Amino acid sequence: MSTTRRRFLQAATAGGAVAGVAGFSALSHVLAPILSGPGDGLTAFRPPEADEIDEATHVLNRLTFGPRPGDHAEMLKLGRKAWLDRQLEPESIDDGWTEARTRHFEALNVWPLGELLEYNARELLDQMTRAKILRAVHSRRQLQEVMVDFWSDHFNIDPSKGDSKWLKPADDKTVIRAHALGKFRDLVKASALSPSMLWYLDGRVNRRATAKEKPNENYGRELLELHTLGVNGGYTQDDVMEVARCLTGWTVRARENTRFAVGKVSFQADLHDDGPKTLLGVRIPAGLGERDLDQVLNIVCRHPATAQYLAAKLCRRFIADAPPASAVTHVAQAFTDSSGDIRHTLRTLFDSPEFLAARGGKVKRPFHFVVSTLRATAARTDAGPALQDYLLRMGHSPFQYPTPDGYPEEAQPWMATLLWRWKFALEFADRSLKGTRFDPQRLQHCAGGETGLAAHLLGRSPAAAETTALAASGQPVALLLASPAFQAF
Amino acid sequence: MSLTTFINDQQDPAGTLVVVFLRGGADGLNMVVPHGDDGYYRARPGIGIRRENLLELDGFFGLNPHLSALHRWWQEGQLSIVHCAGSEDETRSHFEAQDFMEHGGLAAGGWLGRFLRVRPDAGQSPLTAVAIGAQLPECLRGAPSCAAIQSLDDFGLGDRVPDGFLPQLAALYKTAPGVLGPAGQSALAALERISALTKTTYSPARQAEYRKDDFSSGLQQVARLIKGRVGLQAATLDLGGWDSHITQSVIMDPPMERLSQGLNAFATDLGPEELARTNIVVLTEFGRRVAENSALGTDHGRGSVLFLLGGALAGSKKVHASWPDLTHSPLVGPGDLPVNHNYRDILAPVLARQSKGVDLSKVFPGHLLQPLGLAS
Repeated sequence: MSTTRRRFLQAATAGGAVAGVAGFSALSHVLAPILSGPGDGLTAFRPPEADEIDEATHVLNRLTFGPRPGDHAEMLKLGRKAWLDRQLEPESIDDGWTEARTRHFEALNVWPLGELLEYNARELLDQMTRAKILRAVHSRRQLQEVMVDFWSDHFNIDPSKGDSKWLKPADDKTVIRAHALGKFRDLVKASALSPSMLWYLDGRVNRRATAKEKPNENYGRELLELHTLGVNGGYTQDDVMEVARCLTGWTVRARENTRFAVGKVSFQADLHDDGPKTLLGVRIPAGLGERDLDQVLNIVCRHPATAQYLAAKLCRRFIADAPPASAVTHVAQAFTDSSGDIRHTLRTLFDSPEFLAARGGKVKRPFHFVVSTLRATAARTDAGPALQDYLLRMGHSPFQYPTPDGYPEEAQPWMATLLWRWKFALEFADRSLKGTRFDPQRLQHCAGGETGLAAHLLGRSPAAAETTALAASGQPVALLLASPAFQAF
Repeated sequence: MSLTTFINDQQDPAGTLVVVFLRGGADGLNMVVPHGDDGYYRARPGIGIRRENLLELDGFFGLNPHLSALHRWWQEGQLSIVHCAGSEDETRSHFEAQDFMEHGGLAAGGWLGRFLRVRPDAGQSPLTAVAIGAQLPECLRGAPSCAAIQSLDDFGLGDRVPDGFLPQLAALYKTAPGVLGPAGQSALAALERISALTKTTYSPARQAEYRKDDFSSGLQQVARLIKGRVGLQAATLDLGGWDSHITQSVIMDPPMERLSQGLNAFATDLGPEELARTNIVVLTEFGRRVAENSALGTDHGRGSVLFLLGGALAGSKKVHASWPDLTHSPLVGPGDLPVNHNYRDILAPVLARQSKGVDLSKVFPGHLLQPLGLAS
């Protein structure tokens, strides 16, 4: 953050939360015209031409939030491998436009953490939500955004609990985004010590100051069940208790107790159970204090069940709801061989024949559906209340899933959302969705006409039945967006 | 259970839960009056409701005359009342106490949202939950597919849908592979039912008379959705205006009329069969001080009443309360009715009835449930 912006922030927050919020709204109002300038322009492009989803469309469908105009042609020009190399090194991709577009969500970059508490919690949730939508729609680092979405569910936090309301933006930035394509162990460690997670899963009150006190096992259980080994990973209730004992003493300064350094995480040796422990058959000697955490991470991150569990989850996201066992084994091996290197694991997955063969068989979750609509049509959005309301109605608002397992990945739990998808498609195509705009004539022109536009939105040439239906529908763009083919990816 | 079962069956297999939140801290003591306790009259010489004006409930408690429309439901055993009900929140702050009650303690998401997520048949209906009003209440946070609606028209596709659109959409979904095909058919069926609802003028059954206020018209929308068999699992409504710091009766009588007449019309309109599958819960964030204040009002307190209507609960015709004896028992804090029944323990049997097999420990984490026995 530059000094000027920093000073502006301080001046604004000094006046209290309300003044702060008003200040930023005013700022974004001034910046909006500048930020909506060129950089995301729509020019003539060549849509896919094959009768079935080709490899380029398949890779775009699975590794991005949906192709934008021109993405298909760019993939063909670069080649799959080169495109993938770039996406796996997101820092190599210039994303200045997205950065500029999201920079005015000041609250998401506030430091030190305690300053987040100066904000109205609703305003923070709104800023996080808008930033997530805008990045998913506009970022050129698409695989990064897809993985951020994946890990946000894997390490799900519903910030409506306690001080998490204020601390989740830091988790999003320094845990999820920082390690989305990094080392799995680093990601788990950052999450374990994230103040927002310490609130959400009660780690902050996991203590054993006296022999009588019983540790809080909430985080310990989810660490094993959801974050690492998986529910069938072979751990026992004793293992849950041992993890909880190892992590006693990590705590967060809470708003109700202090005005100073709120959100600061520290280890309090006097609240730690420093006796010997045995986790998953491995002995952890007494007296290690805060280093117990590293022992736990070594044991759980290197456990074969973790490789298997994560591989299955990644294959479910990228290959199929019921992925072939061969692919899971292969990807688990890559995870183990690379000591949990996420990049290496993903590359192995994306090069697998199972991945390349599994085209069009998954169903988009509502967030994916909405974002892919905006991307495909080169729409501009304020990601404001009208758009967020649709996500709410479809039960897929970012950062609002209540339980630690995160939004489901499989198609079935989302099957009741079609009605709202159709309503969204109609309202969007009719250009009556508040805060979101696109130019249907120009889009069709750039795609080379009606058939070109259909091929662009479907990722293949329209079938005869589809062409007939589009002609008879009276609203072809809405029908394309509402069609079963556009729900799949 | 498939979505098709929801939409195509003549009955929604699971009924509907209707949650009415009385915002502002409703005074349970003047709604369900302990006329058998002299301490009540000593603490409220100016605003206590005299026994001769009450509608008798069980020989110890009587119903405020402004709630008279509910009396027949009590006599029929359809209405249950729990006194000294509430949450463990002691802040006596509207915001904190409502937040606490709606989240279910220090927990993420709302209790109703979690209930709808974790029930075995979760997320199968396109209209799982509605909140009548402009925004979703906190208790619905995290629910699958929920919407704040002002009118039933919010559910339709709007009036700008070209004639050819739906037939063509139906044609595409008819041949769609995998799960999308049947899901599309169900959504189209739901759409047809909604459009049938919105195109007809609604006439309440059994001469039920809804008042013209927002609460009653909200209940009427809910009744239409329930009868329309669109798979509605939960509806929430707010009724405000209970914060009676001064001139108790001037403040409280109008919302009591709105509440009782609204619920009476709703239950009448639904009729015995629908009412048996519908559970109506009426709760408030806290009750009010036992003793009246100098302005003939009452200040923020703790325990209050909770009403349960319908759901074939077969009420015992006795008010559930571990009554404290207002003269001799110590009151809590600055002189408040204690909370002897945690609202979660009262909701638990209702939720278990609405969704068999639901894991209530996930709905109310961090609370050791002791479900209240409600049947006679």
